[in-house]
Amino acid sequence: MGDGAPGRITALVRQDFRLLARDPAPLVVRTVMPLLIMGFMLPLFRAALRADDVPDANGAEQAVPGMAVMFLFFLVNIVGFAMFREHGWNTWDRLRASPARSVELLAARLVVPLLTAVVQLAVIFGAGALLFGLRVSGSYAALAVVGVPLALCVVMVGMALVALCRTISQLSVIANILALVFAGLGGALTPQSALPDWAGPLAPGVPSYWAMRGFSAVILDGGGVSAVLLPAGVLCAFAAGLGAVTLAFFRADQRKLSWS
Amino acid sequence: MPTDPRPGGTGGPVPALAVRGVSKRYGATAALDHVDLEIAEGEIVGLLGHNGAGKTTLMSLVAGLIRPDAGEIDVHGHSTVRAPRRARRELGLAPQELGVYPPLTVRQNLRFFAELAGLRGRSARARIEEAAEPLALTALLDRRVSRLSGGEQRRVHTAMALLHRPRLVLLDEPTAGVDVQTRARLIAYVRELAAGGTAVCYSTHYLPEIEALGAEVAVLDDGRMIARGSVGELVRRHGDSGVELVFSGSPPALSLPWPVTREDEVLHVRVERPHLAMAEVLAALGESAGQLVTMRVVQPSLDSVFLHLTGRRRPTGAHPGDAVREATAAGCSDGSGSGSGSGSGSGSGTTPAGDGTEPPAEDRIEAGHHG
Ligand SMILES: Nc1ncnc2c1ncn2[C@@H]1O[C@H](COP(=O)(O)OP(=O)(O)OP(=O)(O)O)[C@@H](O)[C@H]1O
Ligand SMILES: [Mg+2]
Repeated sequence: MGDGAPGRITALVRQDFRLLARDPAPLVVRTVMPLLIMGFMLPLFRAALRADDVPDANGAEQAVPGMAVMFLFFLVNIVGFAMFREHGWNTWDRLRASPARSVELLAARLVVPLLTAVVQLAVIFGAGALLFGLRVSGSYAALAVVGVPLALCVVMVGMALVALCRTISQLSVIANILALVFAGLGGALTPQSALPDWAGPLAPGVPSYWAMRGFSAVILDGGGVSAVLLPAGVLCAFAAGLGAVTLAFFRADQRKLSWS
Repeated sequence: MPTDPRPGGTGGPVPALAVRGVSKRYGATAALDHVDLEIAEGEIVGLLGHNGAGKTTLMSLVAGLIRPDAGEIDVHGHSTVRAPRRARRELGLAPQELGVYPPLTVRQNLRFFAELAGLRGRSARARIEEAAEPLALTALLDRRVSRLSGGEQRRVHTAMALLHRPRLVLLDEPTAGVDVQTRARLIAYVRELAAGGTAVCYSTHYLPEIEALGAEVAVLDDGRMIARGSVGELVRRHGDSGVELVFSGSPPALSLPWPVTREDEVLHVRVERPHLAMAEVLAALGESAGQLVTMRVVQPSLDSVFLHLTGRRRPTGAHPGDAVREATAAGCSDGSGSGSGSGSGSGSGTTPAGDGTEPPAEDRIEAGHHG
């Protein structure tokens, strides 16, 4: 790629930052919402955790990672919008007529959403500690080892949906359903132990399950990096699988509808 | 380095654009059918054709946005299929549909495309100034694009295609919706680019621009390239000239040595040198001269060439005047560079012309009905 690809990717990333800076509201709202809901859910989670043999739990141990994981998957919409709006503005074809390769156009589009997701996780965990008394008994590095692959998974779900959907409404319906299903099955909405029997065997099939497992291992069980390598690895595998789906189905010349 | 206008074969210099036998279908629609087109360095080709003729399809194929079903396209010798990125580096496309980033400023829009083309820092800034100036964007550089008028946005859109000084420029209806001054500036700038060796493919529905550009003409009709040549050549070969007489009732039968066609109250006499034929036509009128309302000379023009060429598909028309479809074009300019229609075009009647998308022209055109 010694033909200026890094420069073009930098230009694309900077462009995404500029566009984000022009309209940061959706992102701010998506970060505040989980904090609001945490406030309501805290007592419920406290009761559940105490019944689950965590006698000194205050509820934040489940509420903070749970809501963070659930709302992170709503970011899939933002990844999708970022790609679809290029079609709405008719700029996609201009990008395709530029010296950039299609794969550069895709790769560059991962950067800003990925950073956004990581920052959102950090803000929610930070606010959880400040506002709701979240105590992390394990290592913070281990949280990052789970959080970054989780963020990557979210972005790659977005990219896979961009590849598979022709209209933005298809994408947003599927993204919202996935966010809820992932949250439910993965133990983000309720503690894993409180899931109905039928859900148990399905749970490992969703990335949020592994994220919650990793976060709980650090927050509740005092785990370090080595304790979260398995969940982090599985999250990376999910991301890789979704990347493969994206590459297999993405058609640069497909005309996407940014409305309807 | 400008070269021989049309090398034509294998021996000549590599043309800026070589389209050979290109076909493209959309489902049942044949958008392009075995199209050939060559554009040399420094040459401007005006791409004409009615709505749906395939102009945008051809430009999209050249820019590599879509692939041809058959045929070859080379941009400065690089195949758009086998070496698409090399080909794209040589060209700048301003598509028909406005493609800009509305939330960003003009400068940010331009800088982004400069950076994509590999320009950085000072050289990017210099190019932004260079592309903004001829399109009168300098004063607008720090305005947000969403707050610009439609014509101003289109100027930004066009500038974005020129930043990297491509050697082949594809402008798909660049003057749709822009004012007279901007049109003239754009035309002057395109001429300047061509004088510097840039090849330009310029589609438009506004024929006076072609003459103002000093462009060669390529006419697409239902996906086929039906004519290619200079304005002069085409006018000589296909231009309709004649005398047109309007009567208060149905036109009389005249015995004249030239083809005559009727249409409601109008009689067309097709003759190569209408001025010289006037006297004879008048003499032939005899009694019926009393019913004559107006009489005018129709000079050959690019308009009539276009209507003639694209109307000829209708097999019923014995004469081109019968076969013209609807009024798709306005008057013709004298090519003096202003781009506003006036001068040596068609005759001097007063019938309103145009299809609503063109600026009003002083000249009357053959807005005929089908035979
Ligand atoms: N994406 C598409 N899918 C199906 N048909 C298409 C598509 N794009 C163009 N066509 C058809 O191909 C033909 C050529 O279209 P094209 O856009 O090239 O015309 P054009 O000469 O640019 O017309 P205009 O002057 O209106 O811009 C038309 O019949 C059009 O309906
Ligand atoms: Mg078009």
